Amino acid sequence: MNFLQVIAKRLVGMALVITIASFLLSCLMWQLPGDPAQLIAGGAPEGVVSAIRVEVGLDRGVFGFFWHWFSGLLSGDFGKYYLNGGTRDVLEVIKATLPVSLQLILYAQIVALSFAIPLGLISAYKENSRFDRIVSSTLFTLVSFPSFALALIMSLIFAVKLGWVDPIGYVKPSENLGQHFKLMVLPVISIAVGLTSSYTRLLRTDVIATLKEDYVTMAASKGISNKRVLWFHVFRPSSTTLLTSAALNMGGLIGGTIVIETIFVIPGIGYEVFYSIGARQVIAMQTLILLISFAYVFFNTIVDLLTNAIDPRTRERRG
Amino acid sequence: MKTRKSRPVGFYLAGSWLGLMVFIGLFGWILPLPQWDEAFFDDLGVGPFSPRHLLGTTQDGYDMLAGLVNGARLSVFISFASVLIGGGIGALIGITAAYFRGKYDLIVVSIFNILLSIPNLVLSLALLSVFAYSDADNPASTNRRVMVLIASLIIVIIPILGRISRGSALQWTNREFVLASKSMGTKSFTIIFKHILPNVAPAILSIGFLAIGSVIIVEGSLSILGIGIPGGASWGSMLANGRGNIAYSPHEVYLPALFIALTVISSNWFGDYVRSSLDKRESKI
Amino acid sequence: MSELLTVDGLSVQFATPRGNLRAVRDVSITLNKGESLGVVGESGSGKTVLSRAIMGLLPSTATRTGSVVFKDQELLTAAPDVVRELWGIDMAMIFQDPMTALNPVRRIGTQVTESLIVRLGMDKKAAKAKAVEILKRVRIPDPEGMLRKFPYQLSGGMRQRIMIAIAVSCEPQLLFADEPTTALDVTVQAQVLELLTELRRESNMAMILVTHDLGVVAGHTDKIAVMYAGNIVEYAPTRQLFSNMKMPYTEALLKSIPRLETPTGTRLPVIEGRLPDPTKELVGCAFANRCAYATDKCRTETPPLTDGGNNHYYRCWFPIGGAN
Repeated sequence: MNFLQVIAKRLVGMALVITIASFLLSCLMWQLPGDPAQLIAGGAPEGVVSAIRVEVGLDRGVFGFFWHWFSGLLSGDFGKYYLNGGTRDVLEVIKATLPVSLQLILYAQIVALSFAIPLGLISAYKENSRFDRIVSSTLFTLVSFPSFALALIMSLIFAVKLGWVDPIGYVKPSENLGQHFKLMVLPVISIAVGLTSSYTRLLRTDVIATLKEDYVTMAASKGISNKRVLWFHVFRPSSTTLLTSAALNMGGLIGGTIVIETIFVIPGIGYEVFYSIGARQVIAMQTLILLISFAYVFFNTIVDLLTNAIDPRTRERRG
Repeated sequence: MKTRKSRPVGFYLAGSWLGLMVFIGLFGWILPLPQWDEAFFDDLGVGPFSPRHLLGTTQDGYDMLAGLVNGARLSVFISFASVLIGGGIGALIGITAAYFRGKYDLIVVSIFNILLSIPNLVLSLALLSVFAYSDADNPASTNRRVMVLIASLIIVIIPILGRISRGSALQWTNREFVLASKSMGTKSFTIIFKHILPNVAPAILSIGFLAIGSVIIVEGSLSILGIGIPGGASWGSMLANGRGNIAYSPHEVYLPALFIALTVISSNWFGDYVRSSLDKRESKI
Repeated sequence: MSELLTVDGLSVQFATPRGNLRAVRDVSITLNKGESLGVVGESGSGKTVLSRAIMGLLPSTATRTGSVVFKDQELLTAAPDVVRELWGIDMAMIFQDPMTALNPVRRIGTQVTESLIVRLGMDKKAAKAKAVEILKRVRIPDPEGMLRKFPYQLSGGMRQRIMIAIAVSCEPQLLFADEPTTALDVTVQAQVLELLTELRRESNMAMILVTHDLGVVAGHTDKIAVMYAGNIVEYAPTRQLFSNMKMPYTEALLKSIPRLETPTGTRLPVIEGRLPDPTKELVGCAFANRCAYATDKCRTETPPLTDGGNNHYYRCWFPIGGAN
């Protein structure tokens, strides 16, 4: 009962935040110098411009403009791109680009976790050893290394100088799986390096705390190998913060990969934002930015609710 | 996090680099360097360590070193201005919200949440593309761009530092010495400035250094997306311009990338040092 | 009876920022097969460190000197892997706090069968059957259902039984029980002690029972070592110790136990003063500054461990009732 109330409260809060953010976005677009309808039309004749103006609700004042767009969103009408006389549904574009971004994020998360988990476990187990110190300071340096700088330097070395991969482009996994992964390598590493650093640091801290627990000594006293103690008894109870942070990043990375997608010309949602800004597609811009914000807020709320749900039991478990 | 042994070395290196960048940012124009925006048509795309151009030139004949020194000016200015102003406003709003609570706090927290719901790069992208709108008919000047960029970054920074200041201040507003001071009828603003601010300041300062790093990254990202500072006036802009020439003159890319990376790493190390010395102070109590 | 464990001159030091901390000083004990020894002392006396030092479960900041021979094998100089082979199968440990010594995210079944599968190489089915049998032996109702539970669903007494079940699952010859009843209710304490004694008799298992409570060891051990400031100060068969106590410290410990006969409201005598600084070398008797009978001799000359006959040893210049 109580928990349902908490859920209801959080969902209402989330809806409010999203609605107000949408309204602010509309106000922002309304502020564009000159006539937004002309920007959208991109030099089309006056007849087309006034048709667009009516179609997107720019003739009804800022509130009318917001409501026209926002109520459309709620009923599944995500707006249109107006290009060279033709139109394209924003929803269709999202359907085509979102999976690409999700692939990129998913690969980056997998790579980051598969490096961070062993690194975090071992450096915690060997706390203050030479290995730990080298890993810690390397990761601290890497976490502050801008991902676009890394992306450009890697593409300079591996694509331009060595010619191992193509510097830009994207191939669907269904078309050519090998080529798909080959093109994804550099963008995925660019995103994964920062993630690996922060995940390793989170896990290391928690593992150091867990290693002091009685049940770890107890497990060791069974005579099982250190490796088994670490993987079977230490890792699971230490992974809560890591998994929470990884889940939160899923929300933040949608759209957060905008620069990497642009550098490597990967047709994901971030690249689409960049494109819609360049093409002055006001409506598409609004919708895409809102989608990115929604993903971010949505994941935050869900993760928050889940940790809330698990928390009392966890506290009880820890005794 | 960091070990005691390695900290001083990293700390001094980071400090020296930051100091150097601030110095050349402020006094770089004194140096005997060519004009950063003057093209040398005899030396197009010269590599580093050539006799007339220490760090080489771009494919368009601009001197790299002069560009980097000039870029430091803009980067230092943009990052310090936006972090100082945004951090100052954010800290003030956050601390007063924590102190007065009630409706004011509720409104502040809601606004922070709304602004934080839009990822910061996307938010500055949207703000910049609207307020520094430029096309062939009405080009926005570099100065206007810089001002709008700083304004956008301030809007992005306010909720980030505001939330941290509020959280940090909440731990102090109910401490005995604050309550004692309140009960003696001390004015709210005196309490905030005398008792709360000094305790919250180290936390704000360490996040502030991290924010300087983030601002430099955001500036670079925006340039790469083509809506930052134009014409190679900032490091990010040099990087963005050089991207197309990466195959012929890689130094156009890796030099600004190196400067950005070193500055970001240095400000993060510095922030980390501030935080860990703060932790030490806490643990001594 | 044959000797299972011989500890000779064992000392343990911890490297700390304040200097070397001497937790155990020159301790010698022997234990035969099936025999049980109580190690008694107040907190900080080194009794827990002693049991962990014998088993080899100390953190890397600890250094051990002396000798520990278990089943004719020297453990102090043995390779870590050799010692680890003994853990669980030849020697096992029950920990003080059942609330923290079970892994919170693993089912009881997984934790009980782990040794059986990993150490004894049983298959899952056999291990499960054996686990049910062990849980029955430690008197857990509905053992099959218990296997599916998580630790947080159980009471402290139940968890302690699970821990005992894990410890005895591979039928070790030596069991360390580190304050196994301290965290439990009084009524549950008695049940757990009964259970341990019973398990010990059934399989002729030797046990080292570490406790701060002389009352706990009285009915459940064959002999008792009283520890103070890392030293053994009195060492005797249980009966002998209770009938002919020599050490003022042991007497003080016994007086501090509440009894049913004591009228309510009586203030229990506490041992005044504190343990000596463990980072300093001892001068004279370690207990001298808290002892009612101490003289100048006690403060300046360290008493040796004296053989009082009947396997009774004590470390005192002026034993109660005089030397035997």
